[in-house]
Amino acid sequence: MVPEDKDDDMPDFSDVKSGASSTAPAASVYQTYEVKPGDSLSKIAKNIYGNGNEWKRIFDANTDLIKDPNKIFPGQKLKIPAKG
Amino acid sequence: MRRATACGLAVLVLGAVACGKSEPPPPPPPSVTAPPTTLPAPVSVEAVSLGNAIGPDKKVATPAESFAAKDTIYASVDTAGTGHAKLRALWSFVKGQKTAKVDETTIEFESSGPAVNEFHVMKPSGWPKGDYKVEIFLGDAAAPAMTKSYKVG
Repeated sequence: MVPEDKDDDMPDFSDVKSGASSTAPAASVYQTYEVKPGDSLSKIAKNIYGNGNEWKRIFDANTDLIKDPNKIFPGQKLKIPAKG
Repeated sequence: MRRATACGLAVLVLGAVACGKSEPPPPPPPSVTAPPTTLPAPVSVEAVSLGNAIGPDKKVATPAESFAAKDTIYASVDTAGTGHAKLRALWSFVKGQKTAKVDETTIEFESSGPAVNEFHVMKPSGWPKGDYKVEIFLGDAAAPAMTKSYKVG
């Protein structure tokens, strides 16, 4: 998880790992990430997947929201497909 | 003779009328009404249970409301109904009036009946002690369909 603005009074949850699944067939699982100033798809992919080249996975999952992969805006809520 | 002939004729006419009397019309056939259309029930969240393990059926083995620092915490969510389903779990740490987001994960699927869905979170460095909650949202609703609170430590 990409660290969010941290409140010093609150614990840090940036290392939390998560997952999900369903008995329903063909279920898709994803996290929601809110774009922050300075973010790029490759930076987000690097932080979440450990590989900036995985940016295309994020782009492909958000074509309804992102028209140009070089243009994302703070506040946009992106679907982040599960790893693997 | 003429009177007898007239009477005979009258008898014959009356008899013919009596014999030729038409039967009452048959009753009209009962009208056939189409059975009421039953719309399929939309997707709904039926139950949520928490635990530190799930079975192959994705149901929590032993429901719990308190967990250890190194536990993986599972939320098993029963859904019913048909249609497009978007199920979102928002895990939060609660401290007084403040909350800190722990994780947010979504499952989307086409539901054709009852389903069991599971969300899980784990923290390699250990969960801080305190109060937590997991809210289960259905679709894009602003309010959670169900909320479960739990503690660590």
